[in-house]
Amino acid sequence: MYRIKIDRSRCIGCLTCVTSCIVSHETDSADARNRVVIDSQTRPAPIFCRHCDKPECVFTCMTGAMHKNPETGYVEYDKNQCASCYMCIMSCPYGVLKYDSIRNKEIMKCNMCTHRDPKGNPMCVEKCPMHAITLTEVEK
Amino acid sequence: MKYIVIGSSAAGVNAVRELRKVDPSAQIVLISKDRNIYSRCILHQYLCGKRTIERLNFAEQDFETLYKVDWMKGREVTGLDRAAKEVILENGERVSYDKLLIATGSHTFIPPIKGLAGAKNFIGFRNIDDIEVLKEVPKTCKNIVVLGSGLIGIDCTTGYLEMGVKVTLVDFAGWLLNRQLDKRAAQTYIDKFAEEGIDQHYGVGVSEVIQNEDGYITNVILTDGTDLTCDFFVITAGVRSNIEFLQDSGLELSKFGLVYDATGRTNDPDIYGAGDVSGTSPIWPVAVKEGLIAADNMAGKNAAMTDFFASKSTMTFCGIHTMSLGNVTPPDDDPSFEVQTYDKNGVYKKIVTQDGVIVGALLQGDLAYGGVLQQLIARKIDVRRVKKPIFEVDYSDFFHIDDENYQFYYDE
Repeated sequence: MYRIKIDRSRCIGCLTCVTSCIVSHETDSADARNRVVIDSQTRPAPIFCRHCDKPECVFTCMTGAMHKNPETGYVEYDKNQCASCYMCIMSCPYGVLKYDSIRNKEIMKCNMCTHRDPKGNPMCVEKCPMHAITLTEVEK
Repeated sequence: MKYIVIGSSAAGVNAVRELRKVDPSAQIVLISKDRNIYSRCILHQYLCGKRTIERLNFAEQDFETLYKVDWMKGREVTGLDRAAKEVILENGERVSYDKLLIATGSHTFIPPIKGLAGAKNFIGFRNIDDIEVLKEVPKTCKNIVVLGSGLIGIDCTTGYLEMGVKVTLVDFAGWLLNRQLDKRAAQTYIDKFAEEGIDQHYGVGVSEVIQNEDGYITNVILTDGTDLTCDFFVITAGVRSNIEFLQDSGLELSKFGLVYDATGRTNDPDIYGAGDVSGTSPIWPVAVKEGLIAADNMAGKNAAMTDFFASKSTMTFCGIHTMSLGNVTPPDDDPSFEVQTYDKNGVYKKIVTQDGVIVGALLQGDLAYGGVLQQLIARKIDVRRVKKPIFEVDYSDFFHIDDENYQFYYDE
């Protein structure tokens, strides 16, 4: 499967990836599905959905809205099936998830920009000026 | 290899999926009282008509064919013959197994209330059949009394509220969602419910119910003497595991439920357990994980339950969201606990630490990215190195990524 490889040392915290995410998804609440946070030594840390091999958000989902695609390996989210219970927000060990800030209904979940290309073509990767994030094939 | 899985909810369904993944050629038989796969966590949305029964299904539409499972729907296992390695069904039919998973869940606990025995108008809030009854209740009943203000009781209360039905809520605890919330966080909901017209009675139990000559409850008498008119009584005062059929099986049972180890194995090496049937941590994610782990071990792949952190929940009632993790109400007189709170503009946050380790957290009104807190609590990570306000703690100070697959992990 493909995953967004993160080279933290290259990240300068410019947030181009965050803006790209909002643009790509045309989210009316202008919420992103990724984030860059600053640690206690003021170093930026890009936090992007890992589409985990053992996805806690999927294990905790009580409606089946969050599910792993066995073919692409991507963790997909069906907003129509979602009950907005937020168990996934609580379960993501890395704090990637939140709900949209207007209706508080939809989980802001990375879809690898499969709406641009079914195989995945994340706009954040395309726009990152530092090549801190790159699309890379992985075993699991 | 022939597997039998009993129960078609979170643990059973996920066990079937995992068994098929690990053992593609096995025969898998699923036996369940339920005729449909449905999520019990969203029954309140079925009650008020927001969701159809099809949309309660948390599995794939083609679950049976996709996982090649022989599903015996609407069947009840009433006994177990371990010597013959067979389960016995309600009509006496026997089905043999090589490995068996018991994921039979739990049922509503009916407390021994004076005057309740034999009454015709009370029910729990557990199975789809309960909800079918409860959907019809407001057509003929005006005064609905709900006993218990835990997550299920409040699901029932707010499900009805969506229908414009205002119930009366009774709980022995001092405030609603007593296990999950502190008084401050609970007060947000108590005030909102009061505004919506919900009559609430906390800190009181039910001393007795009065039945009329036709066997219908007409009044619920509380321990403080309050006399509530009642046309229908809903009981959500806890659950008990479904282990009746195992009483003479020789499987080890505790006072809570079926006993099994971290791999899911019972005292019979060919029999496993998963989910609410243990009677210890009745929450969805635990059931799913136990189902997956038991299935792995049944199919010869070693796995063990390592994440025992089950004291967690999220909730949304009347549009107000809350996340609760760990111990949110430490004793006032113990100076080893430090409590920090933030309370502004409808957002309430509380973080409880002890010796630099977060032991409890409440987030109300803003849950964004709250998942990190669960890890910090479960892994007992010292957060004193974080030089930001504790409410802004995130993964950056714990950031690790593996060089091979680029997955995140915690090193602590």
